[in-house]
Amino acid sequence: MSFTLRSVKVPPNSVSLEEARSRTFEFFRSACRSIPTIMEIYNLYDIVNPSQLRSAIASQFRKNAHITNPKVIDMLLFKGMEELNNITEHAKQRHHIIGQYVVGNQGLVQDSGSKDQGSSEFLKNFYSGNYF
Amino acid sequence: MALALRAAILRHARIPVVQTLTLNGSKLGLFGTVRSMSSHGDDNLDKQAVVDRVLDVIKSYPKVDPSKEVDACAYTYSLAPIFYSVLQDSCIIQVTTDVHFQKDLGLDSLDTVEIVMALEEEFKLEIPDKEADKIDSCPLAIEYIYNHPMAS
Repeated sequence: MSFTLRSVKVPPNSVSLEEARSRTFEFFRSACRSIPTIMEIYNLYDIVNPSQLRSAIASQFRKNAHITNPKVIDMLLFKGMEELNNITEHAKQRHHIIGQYVVGNQGLVQDSGSKDQGSSEFLKNFYSGNYF
Repeated sequence: MALALRAAILRHARIPVVQTLTLNGSKLGLFGTVRSMSSHGDDNLDKQAVVDRVLDVIKSYPKVDPSKEVDACAYTYSLAPIFYSVLQDSCIIQVTTDVHFQKDLGLDSLDTVEIVMALEEEFKLEIPDKEADKIDSCPLAIEYIYNHPMAS
């Protein structure tokens, strides 16, 4: 997608973990600030509110919280920026956003694999998401 | 002729000045004619209002919300309803005005940024990154927002 390549510039590598960390927060802020625009262009008012979207973004970040290699963080940041750009440029459709960020990681196809799907309601909630 | 009549009438006719309504329906008062020049209220926010709204934002954050915390505990230990209510009283995290996000509420740095973003949204601000990094507790947040001219 050429317009994506135009709008996302590859930033120089982070020299330290600290710099990568501050860049991550910077990107998180810019993602949060574009939430109102995203709500507007995908018409999400009736299904989600901004704080839920913010939590969804935060959980995407938290998935990679264990990574300590600045180069890997830079790469993930780049992918994140690309994603954010695609979303704000309306390169996606409404169901992409809903499927990926509103319905959440469990998605429309439930992952009912080897995990214990037994009696414990707490464990089910625990598997299905961060917030319950 | 007509002119003379008009002048005669105008000399005697007195139309009482009645209060008219402004566009938004309020009576024209002494200061009612002054319209603010920006969409932002020019008046500063009340300190107590700022405190209440900041606390509301923090309390509504999913990881802080006391009811959810108690529900999780109840699921874990499958408690009897009697214990549930006791637990609810004891387990509630007190969100007060001097709470520190990470030390007292057990949140991490990303949660802190998320709360600051929620505050930005609530007060319609844009807090620059350097300032936002410093806000890590409730008193700092209240002070920053209270002193911010654009907070609304």
